[in-house]
Amino acid sequence: MSKQAGNATAKLNVKDLITTGIFSALLFLALLIGGIPFGINPVTTFYMPFGSALLGGPILLLLIAKVRKRGAVMIAGILSGIIFIAIGMHWAIGLGCALGGIIGDFIAGIGKFKNMKLNTLAYVLVSLGSTGTFICYFADPQSWNTYMLNGKTSEGYIQTMSANAQGWMLPVILIGTVLIACFSGFVGTKLLKKQFEKAGITA
Amino acid sequence: MKAVKFDPRTKIALLLFCILCTTFSGTLELQLILTFMIAVFGLLAGKYKYAVLGLVCYGVLWGTSQLILQSLTGIWQAMFAAFFALVHKVYPCGMMSGIMIGSTKISEFMVALYRLHMPRSIVIPFAVMMRYVPVVFEDWQYIKDAMKMRDVTPSIKGLFTNPSMTVECVYVPLMMAASKTADELSIASVARGIENPNPRSSLIEIHFCVQDWLAVFVFLAFFMTTLALRGGFI
Repeated sequence: MSKQAGNATAKLNVKDLITTGIFSALLFLALLIGGIPFGINPVTTFYMPFGSALLGGPILLLLIAKVRKRGAVMIAGILSGIIFIAIGMHWAIGLGCALGGIIGDFIAGIGKFKNMKLNTLAYVLVSLGSTGTFICYFADPQSWNTYMLNGKTSEGYIQTMSANAQGWMLPVILIGTVLIACFSGFVGTKLLKKQFEKAGITA
Repeated sequence: MKAVKFDPRTKIALLLFCILCTTFSGTLELQLILTFMIAVFGLLAGKYKYAVLGLVCYGVLWGTSQLILQSLTGIWQAMFAAFFALVHKVYPCGMMSGIMIGSTKISEFMVALYRLHMPRSIVIPFAVMMRYVPVVFEDWQYIKDAMKMRDVTPSIKGLFTNPSMTVECVYVPLMMAASKTADELSIASVARGIENPNPRSSLIEIHFCVQDWLAVFVFLAFFMTTLALRGGFI
């Protein structure tokens, strides 16, 4: 088993799978716990991805540092996505997490999972997954809301919506999420250098 | 009343139908019926308290959202409409998955997933993940106690007065514990032959029985009704 360590093309062994599972649990909780304070408040619901992006960085970076093989980020993204869908989040979040994980896995793989900047980029992609719902929302805000009002939409309501929802919000959400995820990745990089590499728990 | 035993695959199928129903359902009344059906399923599966509480909470939520949507106008209505749309879409599935996880053992899940021909690289991390989520909360309690003993405040206040210290004190023990658990767990499971390439056998037998077919049929019928009421197309 130890011979394969550090080889980016090697297949995942059982130890890697278990490590991935445990860190997926932590990652999922970080995404959830960060998102809840924003999600439950109607005014800040749209900024939920900000909170989600804040906490997970160190966790994903340590996972990459511990496994350093193709597939770990992908599995973490797919599993978080599955659980998000299973607890009833909008399907776009789950799909976004899974896609972010798959693309992020390839990007981190370019740097053989050792380039911290590319690893951070992988995290940014995973956390962009939670903006999936809002991309859907802004693609068609009216049908989203008519669902709530049982088709009783008034003229004034539609006017308020179009005045309020607001082309600028989507770029703000996306760019803000990227920035916060970068910050989280930066903290993660520092933590890895300062603590985990010294402790010798990275592969 | 004795709890009815459902196949884990039935529960997965029902969860899938819940997701589809909430995605496509056009009215809040349908959501209410769906939640009621989930509560009935919860009662059958033996989660009595959970089912009743979940239904009551949803009833209150349903009433509140109706009241708010009728009484507010303009921008506030738009705000709350978006928010409650989110809650109403999340709630039934959350309740269903709560019932599913509460009434199924991890090993039953694993058998079901292997029967569904899921690859090992998904099943093993998934099982570990389901098992580890409650452990994180347990660990967190211990870490909080330890932090208090060393005069670090694990609170929002500490986060502002001493950010880097607090972040380190939260992340480092949590992730150290996680990676240690990962090492120990992989040693334990390799010792128990998880690397055996042959198909996994299990003492737990799962079958599709009458109650499974009935449950799937009822939820499928409901989903069809939802689609029909919506206008018949996806």
